Amino acid sequence: MTLDPFTTAGLVGLSGALLGIGLFGIVTRRNFILLLVAIEIAINAAVLNFVYFAAFASNPSSGLNGQSAAIVVIGLAATEIAVGLAIVLALNRIRGSINVTEATALKL
Amino acid sequence: MPLLGDSQVSLADWAFLALGAVAVVTAAASLLVRELVHTILWIATFFVALAALYFLLEAPFLGVLQLGVYAGAVTILLLFGVMVTRKRIFSREAATGLRPAPIAAAGLAAVVVGAVAVEVGGVAGLPSSPQPYETTSLSAALFGTYGPWLWLLGLVMMAALAGAIYLVREGRE
Repeated sequence: MTLDPFTTAGLVGLSGALLGIGLFGIVTRRNFILLLVAIEIAINAAVLNFVYFAAFASNPSSGLNGQSAAIVVIGLAATEIAVGLAIVLALNRIRGSINVTEATALKL
Repeated sequence: MPLLGDSQVSLADWAFLALGAVAVVTAAASLLVRELVHTILWIATFFVALAALYFLLEAPFLGVLQLGVYAGAVTILLLFGVMVTRKRIFSREAATGLRPAPIAAAGLAAVVVGAVAVEVGGVAGLPSSPQPYETTSLSAALFGTYGPWLWLLGLVMMAALAGAIYLVREGRE
C-alpha cells in the first residue's frame, strides 16, 4: 500500500467524511441556520464526487456529463439555501426563535 | 509505504491531502463552534478549500462557480440570516450536549462510505491524472445534453423565488 491519496479511495474517503460531518450536524444541531450549513456540507460532499469522477472519467463525454450534473446540483443547493433562509425569517417572526424544535405548528 | 517527503508522493498528492484536511477540519469546526458568526467564517473557508480542490481536479469553471455561488452568495445569505434573527450578532448558542447516538450514527455512515471506498478503490483502466476539459466543450454539454435539466433548474429557481417571497411577506400570521 502506497501513500497515494489522490486516488478513488482517498477521494471517496474524504467525501464520506464530509457526508458523515453533514449528517452529524443534521441530527444534532437545533438551530435552523446550523441545520442549513450541515445540509450544505453534505451536498458539497456529493458535488465533490461529481467533479472527481468527471476528472477521472474514462471517456470525455461522461466527464462533461459529470461536470454538468455538478453545476445543476450547485444551482439546486443555492435555491435550497434561499428558501431555507426565507423559512428562517418567517419562523423568527412567528415564533421569535429559529430553534427547529419550536416549529411544531403542523404537529397532529 | 513511502514516507512523507518521498519523491513518489507528488505535489498534487500533497495539495490534495492538505486541502482535504482543511475541508474536514473547517466543516467540523463550523458545526461545533458556539458563535454563529464563527460558524459562517468556518463554512466560508470550507467552500474556498473545496473550490481549490476543484481547481486541482482540472475543473476551473466549477471552481469559479463554487467561489461565486458558495463562498460569495451563500455565505452572505447565511450572514444576512444571522444578522436579522439576532439581537446581538455575537451572542452564543445554548450549549447542545453531544449525545453518543448521533456521533455513532454519523461515524457509522462515514465508516460504511469508507468501506465502499476501499472496495471501489482498485478500479482499473482509469486515467492516472485529472483530465482537463475545455470550458467551451463543457458549455456544449451543459446546453446540449443537459439542456432540459437547465430548463428544469430555472423553473425550480423561479418557483423557489416565488415561494420565498410568499414566506417572508408582511402581514402574515
